[in-house]
Amino acid sequence: MRRYLFSRLRQMVPVVFGVVTVVFLLIHLIPGDPVEIMLGESALPAQKEELRRELRLDRPLAVQYGDFLLGVARGDLGTSFRSREPVLREILRRVPATLLLSAASMTVALLLSIPLGILSAMRQHTLLDHLCGLLAMLGLSMPNFWLGPLLILVFSIGLGLFPVSGYGTAGHLVLPAVTMGTGMAAILMRMLRSQLLEEIRQDYVRAASARGLSRRAAVVRHALANSLIPVLTVLGLQFGALLSGSIITETIFSWPGIGRLTVQAIDARDYPLVQGCILFIALCTVTVNLLTDLLYSCLDPRIRYE
Amino acid sequence: MADVRHRLLAAVLPAAIAASSLTGCSQRLPVDSGELVIAFPGAPSAIDPRLSTDAYGTQILQMTHASLLRMDAAGNPLPDLAERWEERSPTEIAFRLRSGVRFHDGRELSSADVRYTFQWMLDPRNRSPHRSTYKTIRAIEAPDVRTVVFRLSEPFAPFLAGMVRGIVPAGSPAAGYSPPIGAGPYRVDDYQPDAGIRLSRFEGYYGGIPGIEKVVVKFLPDSNVRFLELTKGSVNFVLNGVDPDLIPAALKNGNLVTEEDAGSNVSYLGFNLLDPVLSDARVRRAIAMAIDRGAIVRTLWKGHADLADSILAPGFWAHEKGIPPLPYDPAAARVLLDSAGDRDPDGEGPKPRFRLTYKTSQNELRRRIAVVIQEQLRQIGIAVEIQSLEWGTFFADIRKGNFQLYALTWVGIADPDIYHYAFHSGETPPEGANRGGYRKPEVDRLVEEGRREPSREKRKTIYGKVQRILARDLPVFPLWINRNILVRDRRLVGFVITPDEDYASVKEMTLRKGEEAGK
Repeated sequence: MRRYLFSRLRQMVPVVFGVVTVVFLLIHLIPGDPVEIMLGESALPAQKEELRRELRLDRPLAVQYGDFLLGVARGDLGTSFRSREPVLREILRRVPATLLLSAASMTVALLLSIPLGILSAMRQHTLLDHLCGLLAMLGLSMPNFWLGPLLILVFSIGLGLFPVSGYGTAGHLVLPAVTMGTGMAAILMRMLRSQLLEEIRQDYVRAASARGLSRRAAVVRHALANSLIPVLTVLGLQFGALLSGSIITETIFSWPGIGRLTVQAIDARDYPLVQGCILFIALCTVTVNLLTDLLYSCLDPRIRYE
Repeated sequence: MADVRHRLLAAVLPAAIAASSLTGCSQRLPVDSGELVIAFPGAPSAIDPRLSTDAYGTQILQMTHASLLRMDAAGNPLPDLAERWEERSPTEIAFRLRSGVRFHDGRELSSADVRYTFQWMLDPRNRSPHRSTYKTIRAIEAPDVRTVVFRLSEPFAPFLAGMVRGIVPAGSPAAGYSPPIGAGPYRVDDYQPDAGIRLSRFEGYYGGIPGIEKVVVKFLPDSNVRFLELTKGSVNFVLNGVDPDLIPAALKNGNLVTEEDAGSNVSYLGFNLLDPVLSDARVRRAIAMAIDRGAIVRTLWKGHADLADSILAPGFWAHEKGIPPLPYDPAAARVLLDSAGDRDPDGEGPKPRFRLTYKTSQNELRRRIAVVIQEQLRQIGIAVEIQSLEWGTFFADIRKGNFQLYALTWVGIADPDIYHYAFHSGETPPEGANRGGYRKPEVDRLVEEGRREPSREKRKTIYGKVQRILARDLPVFPLWINRNILVRDRRLVGFVITPDEDYASVKEMTLRKGEEAGK
């Protein structure tokens, strides 16, 4: 297990390195000059040159790239051009909001998808199954930019239950979490249903029923655990995506997360901040994927990592 | 996607307002406790007068910091921290500070703080974006605690406009200037980047205690959410942040009222004069005459804009009155194009006289305007390809002069010296803002003279001539000036809308209670 873990950690390095390199090149190649954005339109040419020198933007791209990698190795992601604060501090300031929203969205997704997925599979081709299918289709086809304001209209404006937008209390969390969680719930529900349907037809479930176990107990105690592995894979991928933030949901609900920070950094051509954000997102994604793989062995004891 | 989103929501929102008024929420709202909650469409990059360049930062600083001077609606300087000032010579200006002015931390404001603030911005190590504004300052002296003397390297008429800059306590570093301490009417209690800022009134403000005790500014980038927050009452003040389409729906909430006044940000159509087709003034004039600005203002801006005749707004002191308006006349435009040698190859047929590219941002309304202009130009035989670009890419192209036509807005013009920056032949890209490559020795001479001339009357005459020449040559075509629209709770009164969206009068606001509230 330990060897496997080290091997996976080693594999993470080139992935993160590749992502960061591509982003470094892309952000430097797209049009737009951070110096002009920082100094404003009326800056003098000499002043721009001075700032370029100070930010080391006058050096060849390869040298800038080398400096960046050395900084990363030392744990120094540089200073944001825009706010003049250390990039790490800027990112860490958004991490609690991002983690909170990701975890809450995931909870919503699991609370909706697991019971509905089980019900749907156990009552295949019934009205309930069709209703769950319809709900899943709705969840998948309602884009967040539509669902978010719709939830605000009903629960904030109409019923006055939650704040319209913002961050800080549990009430602020509900609507963005539901907005982000429903689409994911739809995917997970359909996946769980199809996995369960396959498992239900297996001999071991039939044998459990033959031994007198109720259908519900056979499904929940035996078939469910075996159905969760593919679900877990999707869950891991989705959670990785959640951690990288959702610009649309964060914008609608004025949620101060990583997604908005990344987009603002790109708009301002704030190279160190863009690179820092992407590095954070890449690390989150590969870490969550690794954790997902490790969780497989908890669900299925036959899986061993050597 | 943004288009679909806008249309879907615009269709549903008015119904939602009706629904919300039926359910009649009875929650306690911020206004009930006398709190002013303002929504901004974006977050500031910095709350520091020495570094802030965006409108959001400037507007917050207008509530938290005091400057030597402030400007009235016409751009005339008025006393703020300086009770008076004197131009001892064209290169020596002395300010006399008010006595007893204190910063939020209780320290008394003195000439040393003023000197420190400007010297900090002039120090190249601090990389202040405002350094070039003060490039003519040679020395700053503080002979006593209430006197500051600026010595300039050369006469520079726009100097006073640059004195509208918040003063910070001496010794304040840029890193760690938190909370940002100023001498303005409100102090910063809490600042959450990307989320909002909480202010409370400063009891020691030299201009008297502000009427509203607490002010919250929320950064709400989504226009529909700003509208919904207003409707709910969790936001009670939005200046220029509600889509014109949604204003009638907002007014269905009986607590909300709107006020509207002239603005100062001039939208214009830029031409590249180095382009072989657009170098001919007749072609530029024809394009201008083919654009029905009135129709665009009526339909897309819902009437919330005034037609422009200059890049200076009519209320500004240097604006030249009486410039003959360019009429919408597609027939005359066709004749002009014919006379320029750009004949339509197949008359009313599909072949165009020539093709042009029109660059604009990804803002939804700007794209819709581009489509209307595309159609209007098609009617005189000009084929237009619209390129809607991400802001950074769009602005980089404009700055480089990489365009044929583009649409943009001049924001925050504080002095007519803008004509030097935007139309002097030495100010071409990549450094200057003469992006179209306009060259006219007479204009060069006038704008050079204008920045040296200390007399405001003479400057007005000089810039009047410049405006008339530009109206003839049309290096840019001024389109319209958006009006400032305030949507507020009817109980929050006293805010004065200025053309440049100044938030300084928040300190004059009060909360009307009981009977008065209905008025």
